[in-house]
Amino acid sequence: MSRLNAPPPVTVEAPAPTVPPRGRRRRLRRHLTPYLYLAPTLALMVLLMVVPIIMVVGYSVMDNVITNQNPQPVGLENYVEVVTDPVFHTAVRNTIYFTVVSVAAHLVLGLAFALMLNSGLVSGRIRAVFRMIYVLPWLFTVAIIAVLWRLLLNPNGVINYLLDVAGFIDSKVEWLANPDTALHAITFINIWAGYPFFMVSLLAGLQGIPKNLYEAARVDGAGAAHQFWHVTIPQLKPIIISMVLLDFIWTTQQFALIWMTTGGGPINVTEMLSTFTYKLAFSRYEFSLASASAVVVLALSMILAFFYVRHQKARD
Amino acid sequence: MNQSNTRGSVGRDVTGGSVGRDVTAGSVGRDVITRRGLKRAGVILGLMFGAAFAGFPVVWMALSSVKSNTEIFEFPPRIITENFSFDAYATILTDPVKLRFFFNSYVVGLSVTVLTLILAVFAAYAFSRYDFPLKRLLNVVVISVQALPPITLLIPYFGLMVTLGLYNTYPGLIFTYMVFTLPYAIIMMTGYFNTLPRELDEAVKVDGAGPFSALWRILVPLSVPGLVSVGLYTFMIAWNEFLFALTLTRTQDMRTVPIGIQLLMGQHSYEWNEMLAMSVLGCIPILALFLFFQRYFIGGMTAGAVKI
Amino acid sequence: MVLVGASALALTAACGGDTDESAAGGTVTLEFAQWWEPELPEGSLRALMDEFEEQNPGITVELLSGPYASTKEQVVAGAAAGTMSDVVGLDGAWVNDFSRQGSITSLTDLMAEAGYDDGELASQIQIDGATYMIPVVNFVYPLITNDALLTEAGVDAPPANRTEFADAAQAITDLGDDVSGWALPLSLEAPNGVQNDVMSWVWASGGSMLADGQPDLTNAQVTGAAEYIQQLWDAGVVAPGAFTMKEQDKVEEFTNGRVGMMISSLAHVNTIRESNPDLEFSIAAIPAEDSYDGERGIPYASWGIGVAENSEHKAEAWKLVEFLMSEEVNSELSSLANAFPGNTSSVPDFVADDEMFATAFEIYQSGYPANEFTGLPVAEELMRMFGEEFQRALDGDQSVAEALDAAQQRWLSEF
Repeated sequence: MSRLNAPPPVTVEAPAPTVPPRGRRRRLRRHLTPYLYLAPTLALMVLLMVVPIIMVVGYSVMDNVITNQNPQPVGLENYVEVVTDPVFHTAVRNTIYFTVVSVAAHLVLGLAFALMLNSGLVSGRIRAVFRMIYVLPWLFTVAIIAVLWRLLLNPNGVINYLLDVAGFIDSKVEWLANPDTALHAITFINIWAGYPFFMVSLLAGLQGIPKNLYEAARVDGAGAAHQFWHVTIPQLKPIIISMVLLDFIWTTQQFALIWMTTGGGPINVTEMLSTFTYKLAFSRYEFSLASASAVVVLALSMILAFFYVRHQKARD
Repeated sequence: MNQSNTRGSVGRDVTGGSVGRDVTAGSVGRDVITRRGLKRAGVILGLMFGAAFAGFPVVWMALSSVKSNTEIFEFPPRIITENFSFDAYATILTDPVKLRFFFNSYVVGLSVTVLTLILAVFAAYAFSRYDFPLKRLLNVVVISVQALPPITLLIPYFGLMVTLGLYNTYPGLIFTYMVFTLPYAIIMMTGYFNTLPRELDEAVKVDGAGPFSALWRILVPLSVPGLVSVGLYTFMIAWNEFLFALTLTRTQDMRTVPIGIQLLMGQHSYEWNEMLAMSVLGCIPILALFLFFQRYFIGGMTAGAVKI
Repeated sequence: MVLVGASALALTAACGGDTDESAAGGTVTLEFAQWWEPELPEGSLRALMDEFEEQNPGITVELLSGPYASTKEQVVAGAAAGTMSDVVGLDGAWVNDFSRQGSITSLTDLMAEAGYDDGELASQIQIDGATYMIPVVNFVYPLITNDALLTEAGVDAPPANRTEFADAAQAITDLGDDVSGWALPLSLEAPNGVQNDVMSWVWASGGSMLADGQPDLTNAQVTGAAEYIQQLWDAGVVAPGAFTMKEQDKVEEFTNGRVGMMISSLAHVNTIRESNPDLEFSIAAIPAEDSYDGERGIPYASWGIGVAENSEHKAEAWKLVEFLMSEEVNSELSSLANAFPGNTSSVPDFVADDEMFATAFEIYQSGYPANEFTGLPVAEELMRMFGEEFQRALDGDQSVAEALDAAQQRWLSEF
């Protein structure tokens, strides 16, 4: 471990003076350094991600590719068709609900669990046991999460049984098959499957908060709530923002979980952008329309990414 | 691995959050103790509730994996089955094809994790510590490339992999997953690096060391919890991915566990107990990995050495 | 940095050791992509391939098996990149799309080149006059009834017409104890319930959902069947969870004795026997309209086979198709799969050995196989569109007539 040969302690009080540039070569090297650090990542991303994305963008302005032997360019026709499709609007609405509720719940649960697991009030061994339990939802491939919850939420499944025994319900609730409950049910499943990401990342983040900040707050007579809002949250903010951004993008992409539990149904109450796009591509073989729909999602995410980057800039 | 604390550094608050130890010497009154006890009971109660939410589905999965297919659907459900049997586990563990799925998943998952971490640390260092003309643009690109629904990427991606000769190979899967994990890892590592004050690495540079040693000797050691959590998550993404694992592999000897599980979902009926058993088997090594690394989440490991 | 990049490459290159193609000198390797291998008894499909290799020196077959639910994505992606396997397993719902995409080749031409006599083939799926898929084995979907529940409900024999069926379903549901008369899987993920559990009522009474190859969903027969199902729904005899239920779930409900009757694949007979040996059940034809006494259409699903357009070994690929369709091999394969043969002279073992399959075979032969979705464009999406509109009707958002009208309009735009 590199920490073993950590440098001798250094005085950090001194503000770091900027090294005056000594000649052109040095300045050039300084300018190139960040690009060198980014080079391997960029090489991989350009080859394996940017190229296919450009191909998808290309598909989106063609007359049905893949199934059509000689596709012709059609301009923005596909975009118009996708954006004016009423099902697309339903999909956007559902995706927004699903994503916003999921991300908010992931953050709240992840933070609450991380704080409880980090609490000094409970002995380390007990916390270790709970930590193991709390990461469990993380460990399963999405196909299994889907079939497992289909099993649990089956009208004749164990959840209905337990609720029945406890007296909360008196008839079999069709959690996933009832148009009134299906969207909430899959959102719940997604919350279950996704919170450990926040929990583990925040748990790691909590280790990085200098203890003296808490001590200083305590000296000032701040209570637990005050410490939470004025020390913990501000310290975790960079991580929280990164996670929320990522989770937002990921949740809008969530496909397999929805597809394998409800298939976008009943009727279309769980139709999302992802299921809408999938059906265009692999059920109707309209790859150009599917590409157009995907590019719309991409554009929306880029706006999100732009705000994130601007926020970072402002923070610096 | 004991961090010899050279300068009486304050160390870090291992308790973190709002419920830190508020017992200071001399103020241990009786009411403080009972209040502390109440708080403790509250936390434990909260932990139990959370554990029920988190763990119940998984417990149910484990219980179902030793039932027969029919009993899994029985109503009222039974916790313990009469025909308790580990047959499903035996079937999987004695099938060389299925064992190969596990092996493949480990090879791919571990390679992706190591490579992603290395590349992400460098990239995050650049994003966190440098200002350069293309920073904004590259950042937007890194974040938003993952925003295209993978399902639409499938066809062009597949063609690309065939062209590059990476179809049905480990590198094909590894590079593919890295493309998916790198943005995440970079964003998170940038976040962790940003929580560390810049003065730390500037100080090293003043000492005459280059930026590389600032990264390697200061930022990386201080971000170990972050690295571990990013590494675990990267591994999970690679371990659990299905769509590309399916399309980018062709033969059974290259396929991964999620496909093995899906192979049990037949056209006419599912092998429920085997599917669930395979998931349980799949999660045990990961749980062990987490157990091994979790000491990094409980503080102490990074406290010390270099500190403000 | 360069160093890191290089070592990364070296590491991954070292990982990809065993990717070499097994192309021994002088032999042709046929890739056969299908989802059948995991469905069949272990090693049995491989054994058949070994037999083929023995008969055809110089040809080896590599079986590429995938999960059923994802076969389509794999075939589509493979076709787009020109790496599709030489021989592919097909579902009737995909044929039209793949042939339009130009990914599967005309078997008519291959048969002509090989001088093959197609007289023995039970059916061929044709698009624009040329054969693109041959059904290798067929899974028929009769009515399967739980004997004990029927008896308990005071019904002595499986219902033969719609009124009897409705009465029986009601009587079973009235038994209480979480039991329902009928299971209706309408999942939109795998929408084949529309084909097997809804349209089957139309076909069983000699009806059709098409007229001159165009959608005709508003005709009296389809309307009659749809309204009949809605009556069953409103009477509360349909098992809960219908809107997300899949074929596999339906069978679990039946096996657990919570559903009295279902229309289901013959392939399930053995599944039910294995999972619940005590359950006694019978097989019958799907009930027809009360006044109907003509031949009944019986829905089926096929394991079809086709040859890739980009295959460099089309002649060898055809040999494999011919092998699978030959009398003896086809008998064996249908025995293994519990399905009916695609070769008219083949007789699977179980028809002689097993009374239930014998009954099914009789039903099959006294009626006609009916699956109007086979060969239609975007067939799966058609089922999904119908399913969505039908769900709306059952949920009370619109009338059955409105649902059929809406589905008709949506279908027309796809033809």
